[in-house]
Amino acid sequence: MPIWIDPEKCNGCYNSRQPPCVRMCPGDLIVKDMLTHKASLKYVNDCWDCLPCVKVCPEEAVEFHLSAQFGEKGARLIPHVHKTRDQITWELIDIADKKEMFTIQTKIMAVSLDEPIEGVSPAPDFTI
Amino acid sequence: MIERKVIDTDILIIGGGTAGCMAAVEAKERNPHLTVTILEKAHIDRSGCLAGGMNAINAYINAGETVDRFVSYVRDDACGLIREDLVRSMAEEFEYAVKKVEKWGLPILLDDQGRYVKRGRWNIKINGESLKPILAQAARQAGTRIYNWVVVTDLLTDGNRVVGAAGFSLRHSLFYIVRAKATLVSTGGAARLYRANNRDDAAYKTWYCPYNTGAGYAVGIRSGAEMTSFEMRYVALRTKDTIAPTGTIALGVHAPQVNALGERFMATRYAHLGGDGAPTPYRTYGPLQEIKEGRGPVYLDTRGLSPDQVRELKAAYLDMYPSMVLYWAANGIDPSKTAIEVETTEPYIVGGHCQSGYWVDANRKTTLEGLYAAGDVAGGAPFKFVSGCWAEGVLAARAMGIAIREMPYPTVSETQMAQIETRIFTPLRRHGTLRYAVKPAELEARLQKIMEQYAGGRATYYEMNAAMLSIARIQLAALPDATERLVADDLHQLMKAHEVMDRIDVAQVLVEHLLYREETRWPSYQTRTDFPERDDVHWLKFVNSKRNPQTGAIEMFTRPPSP
Repeated sequence: MPIWIDPEKCNGCYNSRQPPCVRMCPGDLIVKDMLTHKASLKYVNDCWDCLPCVKVCPEEAVEFHLSAQFGEKGARLIPHVHKTRDQITWELIDIADKKEMFTIQTKIMAVSLDEPIEGVSPAPDFTI
Repeated sequence: MIERKVIDTDILIIGGGTAGCMAAVEAKERNPHLTVTILEKAHIDRSGCLAGGMNAINAYINAGETVDRFVSYVRDDACGLIREDLVRSMAEEFEYAVKKVEKWGLPILLDDQGRYVKRGRWNIKINGESLKPILAQAARQAGTRIYNWVVVTDLLTDGNRVVGAAGFSLRHSLFYIVRAKATLVSTGGAARLYRANNRDDAAYKTWYCPYNTGAGYAVGIRSGAEMTSFEMRYVALRTKDTIAPTGTIALGVHAPQVNALGERFMATRYAHLGGDGAPTPYRTYGPLQEIKEGRGPVYLDTRGLSPDQVRELKAAYLDMYPSMVLYWAANGIDPSKTAIEVETTEPYIVGGHCQSGYWVDANRKTTLEGLYAAGDVAGGAPFKFVSGCWAEGVLAARAMGIAIREMPYPTVSETQMAQIETRIFTPLRRHGTLRYAVKPAELEARLQKIMEQYAGGRATYYEMNAAMLSIARIQLAALPDATERLVADDLHQLMKAHEVMDRIDVAQVLVEHLLYREETRWPSYQTRTDFPERDDVHWLKFVNSKRNPQTGAIEMFTRPPSP
């Protein structure tokens, strides 16, 4: 499974109807269960591995995994978006547990926890 | 039960991607009074090709180069056949577009003298992880009306004139009718026509965005627009398994291709074509021949890179293809000690790397009145990549702004709206009523099996002949009947149903194009075993097609290279 959403960490972005991971998936593959308040990857086989869902999660609950057919799943790659939003630090841990950090300049746009759908909903019934 | 939403707009943009966002901004900047509406299948912040990010601009006129030299390079790279007028006009806008996006906040790497850092002759380096949200924000701030999660399925027409588009919402039971004075198609090209390299939970781990399913081509095909060069498919040379771009390695750290014997086969066997700098189709064809003739696997030789170079390489992939870095970590691969294995992808139909798409004029207007095309759906101008798509969006927006002056809002007949509504929602309404229903994934598997085996997929080293293509033609002809049994149980599946119907229409046109060109112009992209030579005397011209909207018959004909 290319990504996995840790149910321990996922808080469903409170009462957001469409949390960032749901909105930012270009394949419309992630859904939030409004009863359990957890998001999950509904269509596992349709994932492109493009990672917006991983980067926009405010709880860092979306983990990036390598599909098992590509080798050892123990290696980890975790992006940390800086609060200043102009840098992203990637934490890479290989199978020998060696850690490497890469800090890259970028310009990360703020992503709100929910937003109205143009033409559908006037505004989310939602406050932070 | 299904609510109709009718919207009037001056300019409609189908697809808020690289070309679409740029077109929206240009149109609003030129005339702030215009209403510009984007219909986007996903969320505009992270949709399509740029969702993961991008680490280079691959079409740029660097200091010391000229537009003339760029045009000449692109002509050679496309084996002699391009629309020079289109390539030239886009190249003239690279500077304008790149500077604009830099102003919006895209970090472009600068050297100590403040100049852009070159990655290759026509390339500059960027930190483009957030390129897509940057473009989206610019479109939003320009005052564009953006409708996310709207799947466009049909163009609205009034005679030979396109007057907007129709589609449905992925989020609610909504049928969208958008009436427009001018319409721009900028959906991107078509992936998943052929079987991909990987299976199961990596089946969508393709190079081209797997959510670009040829809708932009399909709506035009069904309305009778003229298409060009579908036969110039794109087959990418990519890293083994992860299907990550190889330019990052080949251009970034100058790693040559080597075979299992350690031979630099491009330099020896393809010296007459330019060796490692041979036209792009040959850089796919070359390694394929090594593998076919038993000298594989093929690698990019990264051995001997310095630790700094390895770090730089990993950082470059993190901006665009992070799974490459995780793959190396998971498999204990150190690129400075192990050469990086490469493979070739399934064929894609794209107008940005190759030149499959709408036949357009210098304004990017298609052969249908009121309809424009930019980016991967626009034909005749390969080597666009990101900046060329921007340029085409700019050119189309300027032309649309002028064309619609003093034009009244168009009308659409109730009959047409009702017909489209029925076509859109039938797979949903049919759910649970059929004994032998077909799911979108099943029909897709059938389509990909036909294309893989008879229309030059990976299984045959992309080779084909008239006999194989004729079988593909016959088998594809049966698929529209199967769509009569296609079902969807929710809106997401309804999208999948339309994606597969669109790809069937695209595949039928593609097979006709492949049959028609009786030569081999772009080895590996288009290898005809029954016509193995390039034939400039008879075929240095475009193969074009038009599907008759009434009968469905596909008419094939040729056009000279530069009109």
